[in-house]
Amino acid sequence: MFNEIKQRFATDDVEVKRNDLYKVRIKYSRLFELMHMLRDEYDYKTLNAITCTDWIEEGHFALTYMLTTEDRKYTFMIQTMINREDAQAKTLSHEYKQAQIMERDLHEMYGIDFPGNENLKELSLESWVHTPPLRREFDTLEFVTNHLIFREGREDNVDTKAETKRLRAEKKAQKSKDEEVKDGK
Amino acid sequence: MEHNGFLLEQKTLEGDLNSDTSHKNSVDFLMNWFRKRSIFVLAYGTGCGAIEMPPTFTSRYDAERLGIRGAATPRQADVIIVSGYCSYKTLRRIIRTYEQMSNPKYILALGSCTVNGGMYWDSYNTIKKLEDYLPVDMYVNGCMPRPESILEGFIALQKEIGEGKASSWKKYEENYEFYRKNQEAILGKKVEPSYDADWYLYDGGL
Repeated sequence: MFNEIKQRFATDDVEVKRNDLYKVRIKYSRLFELMHMLRDEYDYKTLNAITCTDWIEEGHFALTYMLTTEDRKYTFMIQTMINREDAQAKTLSHEYKQAQIMERDLHEMYGIDFPGNENLKELSLESWVHTPPLRREFDTLEFVTNHLIFREGREDNVDTKAETKRLRAEKKAQKSKDEEVKDGK
Repeated sequence: MEHNGFLLEQKTLEGDLNSDTSHKNSVDFLMNWFRKRSIFVLAYGTGCGAIEMPPTFTSRYDAERLGIRGAATPRQADVIIVSGYCSYKTLRRIIRTYEQMSNPKYILALGSCTVNGGMYWDSYNTIKKLEDYLPVDMYVNGCMPRPESILEGFIALQKEIGEGKASSWKKYEENYEFYRKNQEAILGKKVEPSYDADWYLYDGGL
């Protein structure tokens, strides 16, 4: 199988991660061809998950499609890169029904568009108008500071670390003092 | 008679409740006494802390011995427990539920998340201070508070009700603009969630 993939798709990036888990990196343009090949010839019939990693420095998203055989023994990870700006990928929702909701989730969290997917409405967020929250340019702390009100600390609020240090030093001093008294006796 | 074990615990818990005498007249006293001794808690878990509610209300901790029991719908309930972290999405539902409850109504906030955000202090999707959006009568801190803490929180609430001090629903009515402004600041102009089931039938299901 590996040789066939290497030859047909001109890639050397095939990895055996575990004895039941394989990974391959290929160009986006060949992705669906490989998926169809695995499905038709090697029984990888189930789409388990579509995951996304944000490589902001390189300027792309890494989409990983996980396929599993019908007997649930082997899993194949196919990784492909798509452009980060106006990210777009072809939908799989017509071939795999479960891809519909996975793509909907990716659309919500990363802003990736899947033309052809019938329903890309918000899934777990509600009326979210800001940057998709899992994109790395979204600064969570800045967003929280600007949008929400924090509770002010108590008046007797102390820096816990400094306070612990001070108490420990005090205790140590007291201990050595006690020992001196003891030795003196 | 000397108490020990369970009876001692009950006596200690209720000791505070029976001592209060600060009432204006006997009608007020009677009304407050009725209110504090029949607290119906809405069976509605809004966060992880809801897991502590079943033991509180069932045989192990048995809150009913103090007059605290569950209610099925918001219209029948006196107290809503905001249990744990509160995301924007949940907040919409809590606001709608709270506004459906009839007066007098009280809010018991559970866990450190409602106090200052807790471990979700830098989360983009949870609120940090519940009292900005809804009037809170009693905070029970902890992560999560044990049923004992919840019971003590209830006793403290009962004590305030008995003294006629717990009046958060009045505060909500009087300062409605303030609360509404804060709610709209994070939830947008349309605070209430939509009622219809269309999202399931025509939106491709979950």
